[in-house]
Amino acid sequence: MPHILNMLPYVVAAWLFCCGLYGLVTSRHLVHFVICLAILQTSTYMLLLGIGYRVQGAAPVFADINPGRTTVDPVVQALMLTDVVVEAVVVALLLAIVVKAFEKSGTVDPADLRTMKG
Amino acid sequence: MAAPNAIPALPVAVPLLTAATLGALRKWLPRPLIDATAIGAAAATLCLSVLLLRLAEQHTLVYWFGNWYPRGHMVLGITFLVDPAGAGLASLAALLTTLALLFSWRQQDAADNHYQPLMLIFLAAMCGFALTGDLFNMFVFFELMSTAAFALCGLKTLEPAPLQGAFNFAITNTIAAFMVLTGIALLYATTGALNLAQIGATLGTRHDPLVLFACTLLTSGFLIKGAIAPFHFWLADAHAVAPTPVCVLFSGIMVELGLYAVLRLHITLFQGTFSGAHAARLRAILFAFGLLTAILGGLMCYAEHHAKRLLAFSTISHSGLMLLAIATGTPVAIAGFFTYLLAHALIKSALFFLSGILLHRLRTISEPLLFGRGRPLRYTGLLWLLASLGLAGAPLFLTMHGESLVSHAAEGLGQAWVPYAFLLAGALTAAAALRFGMRTFCGWGQGGISDAAADVGELPETSESDATICWYQVVPPTLCLAAAIACCLLPRLPTQILDAALRLHDQPGYIQTVYTGTAAAATPLAAADLSHRAAALHGSLAGVLALLLASTSVFRQRLPRALRLGAFLEGPLPWLRNLQSGHPGDYVTWIVVGAATLGCCLLFLT
Repeated sequence: MPHILNMLPYVVAAWLFCCGLYGLVTSRHLVHFVICLAILQTSTYMLLLGIGYRVQGAAPVFADINPGRTTVDPVVQALMLTDVVVEAVVVALLLAIVVKAFEKSGTVDPADLRTMKG
Repeated sequence: MAAPNAIPALPVAVPLLTAATLGALRKWLPRPLIDATAIGAAAATLCLSVLLLRLAEQHTLVYWFGNWYPRGHMVLGITFLVDPAGAGLASLAALLTTLALLFSWRQQDAADNHYQPLMLIFLAAMCGFALTGDLFNMFVFFELMSTAAFALCGLKTLEPAPLQGAFNFAITNTIAAFMVLTGIALLYATTGALNLAQIGATLGTRHDPLVLFACTLLTSGFLIKGAIAPFHFWLADAHAVAPTPVCVLFSGIMVELGLYAVLRLHITLFQGTFSGAHAARLRAILFAFGLLTAILGGLMCYAEHHAKRLLAFSTISHSGLMLLAIATGTPVAIAGFFTYLLAHALIKSALFFLSGILLHRLRTISEPLLFGRGRPLRYTGLLWLLASLGLAGAPLFLTMHGESLVSHAAEGLGQAWVPYAFLLAGALTAAAALRFGMRTFCGWGQGGISDAAADVGELPETSESDATICWYQVVPPTLCLAAAIACCLLPRLPTQILDAALRLHDQPGYIQTVYTGTAAAATPLAAADLSHRAAALHGSLAGVLALLLASTSVFRQRLPRALRLGAFLEGPLPWLRNLQSGHPGDYVTWIVVGAATLGCCLLFLT
């Protein structure tokens, strides 16, 4: 059983990645697009957490624990924090674009928004 | 160890700090001061990057942030590794940014949109991306670069088209970022390292599905930025709507940085993974992607009648050619890649600046509407036609030298068709630009074929009242074009680029440099004894073909039906152009298809 449980974060990450992509491919609403992108992003959180997790590991704060103790990997946590910050910016920017698009053309359907093709 | 010398961090720090200051004080500073500060900061970055380039030519600089030096085999800190290739790209980015900021001096709507701070952030991210030696750091700069680019692309929020372009751009490139991040996470799980050198050393010759999967994700992610078919759809939409100076940076350096990342990673991380027989098969896969991109971009380019979209598709075509150079992969081919990159950046920037002048002076850049109206702009027209010939790799232009190096290297590997790919793509894109120039500046032939894609409203970037052309608009394209020609005359440039390529190609040397801080003795390669005669012949041929093709379009009324090849190509090509649907969902589908294809090829064919 432990073996399957160890795999679980990766399975969830792959599943979320596929969900996000499916949503992006089929979406008909600009806000829905942005949400799907956010779902796609959560797959990277799951992956990073899954990679950094150690069974029985403590939090990597060595102020009050024995330095020899197993901890979870602090590097991936730093990566994930950076990821959160970076993607918050992207989502905010995208939503701002959506708001502007709605103001200009009164629609949130990408098919109606497009003025350029070919 | 010498006293820590912080110069490598400055090309990132200077524009970032200036951007923050300008962003904060924007409301209280007069417009000319903001412009002058931004240009000054970009110029200072240029000087610093060139200084770094000069230093890196002697030996590679390794800078550890916060003096976190590696302990034994374990890399603890983040490093900037400044080799001539990276420093050269940073210099090119700074040069183009300086010229772009100069071009937009006193531009009307740049005032209240955070334009200058965003440009400086964009520059800082590009410099960091080119200089860093850490994989995650690379991702951070990649994202910073993308985010600044999304905002810059959607600056003209007064119409729906820029919002559509920026939205498609942001969606596709953010997916690229997640792919890269997932690849990085997998590599970290495999090797426990984020430093390029340590990952490369740990991976060694591992060739298993996990490494190949990570390689697929990283490669596809950066190829999305590099606009390689089928990942290229965002580029035309973004370029058509972004302000002219921003287009210069997109086409001139951002797309190429995506390709540079592919090159860097394939050498530093995966050189061992794809060694021996694997290398030949990987080369075949990348050749297929590059060739598809070069031809598709060329055909789409010829079918376009909107100046910026035309140039955008030409960028796609040329980035396919650059992927051919990367795929070839020998030091000579890499030298060809950098030469071609430099030449393309200068020429394409000049063309974008000129289209900006057209938009400024004549208020439109649609070919049917512009017919014959460019006659008074003699100097602009002359530059445009010259630059178009440069796209074909005509003699006198640096593009020819790049093409010659790549062709030479590819022929050494038995790939004799590569020069013909350059010939075809160069002729198609140059013919499109020439056709646009002949109709607009000479008023030859009939008006262009009407084309819905050309009628996308392009809001002029300057105010109506002041439609004269000023010196600061003419100087950047002139400088770019002059540089593209003058670089051929620099006697030391080919050796310097070859040296940069050799050091980039030397994976063991790179790893040793990171760990010891001293450069390994690079195996000197006898300067490729190239006569450019074959390339000059090819270049002239491409130029003549381009002229002929453009003429069959422009003078189609006077030609017998059988000879109207240009008019046929210029026509709709409907099935091909329908692919460029403008719908972000379709683009994501293509990304999935492309990444899956690349992954399957890597997994089963190498």
